[in-house]
Amino acid sequence: MTERVKKKRPWLKRILIAILVIIVILAGVYWYVATEKFSDTKDRKADYTVSAIDFIHEFEKDQKAANEKYKDKIITVNGTVSEIEAADTTMNIKMMDTVSKSIIIFAFQEQHLSEPKTVKVGDPVSIKGSFSAGIFSDILEIVKIDFKRSTLNKK
Amino acid sequence: MKKFILFLSVVAITNSIFAQKKTTTSATIKFDASTSIDNLPKAENKTAIAAINTTTGSIAFEATVKNFSFSNPSMQNHFNGSGWLDSDNHPTFIYKGNITDLTAVDFTKDGVYPVKTEGVLTVKGVEQKLSTPATITVKGNSVVAAADFSIKLADFGITGAPIDGGKVAKEPKISVTAELK
Repeated sequence: MTERVKKKRPWLKRILIAILVIIVILAGVYWYVATEKFSDTKDRKADYTVSAIDFIHEFEKDQKAANEKYKDKIITVNGTVSEIEAADTTMNIKMMDTVSKSIIIFAFQEQHLSEPKTVKVGDPVSIKGSFSAGIFSDILEIVKIDFKRSTLNKK
Repeated sequence: MKKFILFLSVVAITNSIFAQKKTTTSATIKFDASTSIDNLPKAENKTAIAAINTTTGSIAFEATVKNFSFSNPSMQNHFNGSGWLDSDNHPTFIYKGNITDLTAVDFTKDGVYPVKTEGVLTVKGVEQKLSTPATITVKGNSVVAAADFSIKLADFGITGAPIDGGKVAKEPKISVTAELK
């Protein structure tokens, strides 16, 4: 009887260790996912670099194809500041096609919220941001392209 | 006849001054579905379109779903996924409504005016009536519209284990602020 127990014990121990390892791995994965943050856009490499007007025209021509092409991409947009607009306690920067009135609008990343204050309307700028989507607005009847977590590239 | 034409001109000019559609492309919408066991499901969209007609009292909002910014990448992916908001197929939240007690607001005089609003909110292609109190603040040429309310996710066909398990609030709080010019 004693010999039997001795023979079973190593298997029981292994099973317990395996369960413990699985619990630790799952806890680690959960901790990683729960505490993960978006990295600083300034440190990320742009997938595309575009001119504001060409970018707007791409969406005006084929919104669906453009949304698919740029989905979840980091994009640097070069253009001219057409407006700096108050967004609650922060500011957004807009670039506009003066012919169609369509716009690109950039909301800034938390650590870069003060950057819109360093530019003025008419300034040529380069902004890197996380592309969200381009839609046709029924309210304004223009194409509006949204970026989040944006940052100004150095002039 | 000249007096009549002058009268019509004055009426037309007055209407053009006060019958204004004020808009912004930087309305802020905060979404908070956090619970006591998970504080991650909350986000902010700072590029919503908003419009108000100060003559008719009509109001409208349009927010790009993918521009809700979360602190946590996984949470943002779930939010946009086909099981939740399905933002590829339903790219915008839309609200169209009216201020029902428009006479309570004097758009020519600076002040803070509590109002009632009624309208239809469209989320994930599902339309639901929404009635909520709001505040209109008039300051010079600008009008700030603000409202806090909650929605039932199930009303818009949004269900799932995280909601049943208490990780996502069944009735998230929504805060809207728009400075319209």
